[in-house]
Amino acid sequence: MKKQIAIRVIELILLLIVLSLLTFALMYIAPGDPAEKRLSSQGVAVTREVLQAERERMGLLRPFFVRYGEWFVGILHGDFGISFKDDLPVAPKLWNGLQNTIVLAMGSLLLSLLVSVPVGIFSAVKRNSMFDHIARILSFVGNSLPNFLISVLLMYFFCIQLDAFPIIATGSLQGLILPTLSLAIPMASRFTRQIRTEVATQMDEDYVVGLRLKGVKEHYILLRNVFHNSIGHIFTIVALQIGTLMGGSVVIETIFRWPGIGKLVMDSITARDYPVIMGFVLIMGTIYVGINLISDIVNRIIDPRVEW
Amino acid sequence: MKKGQKILALLLAGVLSVSMFGCGQTKQAAGDAKEVATETESEDNILRVATSFAYPSLDVHKEYYGWYTSIYGISETLFKLDADSKAVPFLAKDAVADGTTWTITLNDSVAFSNGEALTADMVIRNIQRIAEINSRFDIFGTFTYEAKDDKTIVISTGDEVYPTLKSDLASPEFGMVDLDHTKDFDHNPICTGPFVIQEFIPEGDVTVARNEHYWGGDVNLDGAIFYYMQEDDPKLLAMQSGEIDCYNSVSSAALEVYKQEPDKYNVTSVAGTRLQFYIVNENRLDDAVREAITLTVDKDAIATYLKGTVTAASAPFPSTSAYSQVSIPAVDTAKAKKLLEKDGYTLNADGIYEKDGKPLQINIAYYAARSLDTVAILMQEQLRAVGIDSVLTVEEDPDATYISTGDFDLALYSMISDKCGDPLYFIDSTLAKDAYYNVGGFEDAKCQELIEQLRVETDIDQRAKLANQILQIAIDDHAFGYVGLFNHTTVMKPGVSGFAEDSPFDFYGIDANTTK
Repeated sequence: MKKQIAIRVIELILLLIVLSLLTFALMYIAPGDPAEKRLSSQGVAVTREVLQAERERMGLLRPFFVRYGEWFVGILHGDFGISFKDDLPVAPKLWNGLQNTIVLAMGSLLLSLLVSVPVGIFSAVKRNSMFDHIARILSFVGNSLPNFLISVLLMYFFCIQLDAFPIIATGSLQGLILPTLSLAIPMASRFTRQIRTEVATQMDEDYVVGLRLKGVKEHYILLRNVFHNSIGHIFTIVALQIGTLMGGSVVIETIFRWPGIGKLVMDSITARDYPVIMGFVLIMGTIYVGINLISDIVNRIIDPRVEW
Repeated sequence: MKKGQKILALLLAGVLSVSMFGCGQTKQAAGDAKEVATETESEDNILRVATSFAYPSLDVHKEYYGWYTSIYGISETLFKLDADSKAVPFLAKDAVADGTTWTITLNDSVAFSNGEALTADMVIRNIQRIAEINSRFDIFGTFTYEAKDDKTIVISTGDEVYPTLKSDLASPEFGMVDLDHTKDFDHNPICTGPFVIQEFIPEGDVTVARNEHYWGGDVNLDGAIFYYMQEDDPKLLAMQSGEIDCYNSVSSAALEVYKQEPDKYNVTSVAGTRLQFYIVNENRLDDAVREAITLTVDKDAIATYLKGTVTAASAPFPSTSAYSQVSIPAVDTAKAKKLLEKDGYTLNADGIYEKDGKPLQINIAYYAARSLDTVAILMQEQLRAVGIDSVLTVEEDPDATYISTGDFDLALYSMISDKCGDPLYFIDSTLAKDAYYNVGGFEDAKCQELIEQLRVETDIDQRAKLANQILQIAIDDHAFGYVGLFNHTTVMKPGVSGFAEDSPFDFYGIDANTTK
């Protein structure tokens, strides 16, 4: 396993180099001028001379490989560069955004699992029961609603109708509840359906029929065999979701004034703030591949038959 | 009931009970907290405002951060722009131009929040710092400065007359900062405004408190909190829940809600300086087609459709300014059709004009911001109704695409038309020869001559006259169409006033007279 992990780590490094080069190239050829975005950020036009001087100052007129090389050398030294938008260091911006995103992501993931795992399993066990029907309908609705609608509805219901939370509550634990719920509702709905399907599939397997015929108790089969065989699949689903969550949710972060990485990167794309975008791509690439690697290792530990 | 089911039922009942009790407690606790908060909010003299932008620094001279220190009531400028876009005295008494020399006299009583007086030397060093760190004002680095005495500054603009100096000094970036005593320009600049920074969260909320040493006299508010809220819906909900007292740039949807409850919300609206306009490509469209477009595009209908967020424009500036006194032809679709027919166009079976077997189809380039997507669709419908077909081309970045290539028949754009109470900036950006936004082939010798005169004319009334003549030439040539000016719409709770609600400019907010 150690050898396999070492290979995957080398693959990760190569992947990140290719990813960064591709991203840099795409930004280089994409229309948009960071100098113009910066100078005209309030809609005020500037002269050609001022614009050209700003491009020169920002180093935008240098050749592609010089710029990429400089950025790459900086990364090797742990320097993510300076933001085109405001001349501030990129690393603290990304770190602050990532920290806030992790808090929100982990809170919503935990809440989703607390709801979806028991509901999904119980739904599968009690297939076509009233509980199953209600769970399926609710999970279908939860999965269908867009994030912004869930956010605004929750805000309206809890803050205006129930008067339970303030609209402006960022920075407190109270301020975490509604954005967590907004993220958790569609995620829990998705997980519930996936867990239900996985457990139901396992329940139909021959080994379950055999165990039943042998007289093994239902809850014993469920916990000892079915859940054990499903856990790898569920873990993979959750791992993939973590990767997505780490990218942040622009809509939820904006509505709830949560200064996460999603909003940071969206603002950076609008401003053509390439150093921030590059840093984001690098971090997200590492997180995605890292989580996949962990998922593979865990799957392998749970079930040694799983191949790399 | 089986044993397992019983256990599950008990568990579920337990969870539900705990949840309901918990929710009830939380609700009660939160409700109590909110009751106290609301009581405190209504009783205190702190204005709570929602703002759509937040920046990482409060350095008045950098980037556009001065716009926000001005809104927060922290920084002030030598001159201020009034509701008619005129630069009027503020920290300075007067500015007199004599050729290439300007003499500025400061008000005697002006002092920073730390009690230090504003001196001529400090003003000069402020201007020099702006020229050094803000590339949009690097021209100020070419001027020479002299402090004639403690309150008089003489600025020599070199060989060139610089007539817009007074209005430039009204730009919020020229807010005066105590350069000697400010230790942290990014987080706590010492300025002359009626408020001082209490708490600044970079790219987040800002809290200001009353400047107890304000040179201008009494300050009504104890302070203000500016909450960074980008989205329209939370702003509306926060206004409804009473968590904020006012905000501007109100969306059309929220405007409808506020208008239904006039006893709860005061809504004011003035035409601002953010313009929606179109450029007609003279290299591709002949005179008749261009004039037909002018006669067809119904700006009032567009403004009506945009539900109070814009005011139909006749000139690029608010109608209250002296340099927007131009005449535009009224919408006349019958005349537009006649013009096209006179030019050899005939209607085909599809109701589209064609000439030499080629249908009249124009390409409308736009980008999906500042409601330009809606304007593009409405213009397409209006043009289609008279027999001019069009295809819409949407770009994400207009400057990098159709503005730089000129690949369009009609291009939509939005920009600030008046940044500091003078018409030269917009005229120079759009109508002058080789101007950045003169990309539709507009060229007129008389117009250029007038622009050259505008560059050196120092008399304000004469400048307005010149500007009106220049704009009229472009309008008569059907080179540009000024569609709408975004309204500066402010919603306030009853009792709130003085939140720059009558100013067309985006960079004014609270001041000493603001009340809650």
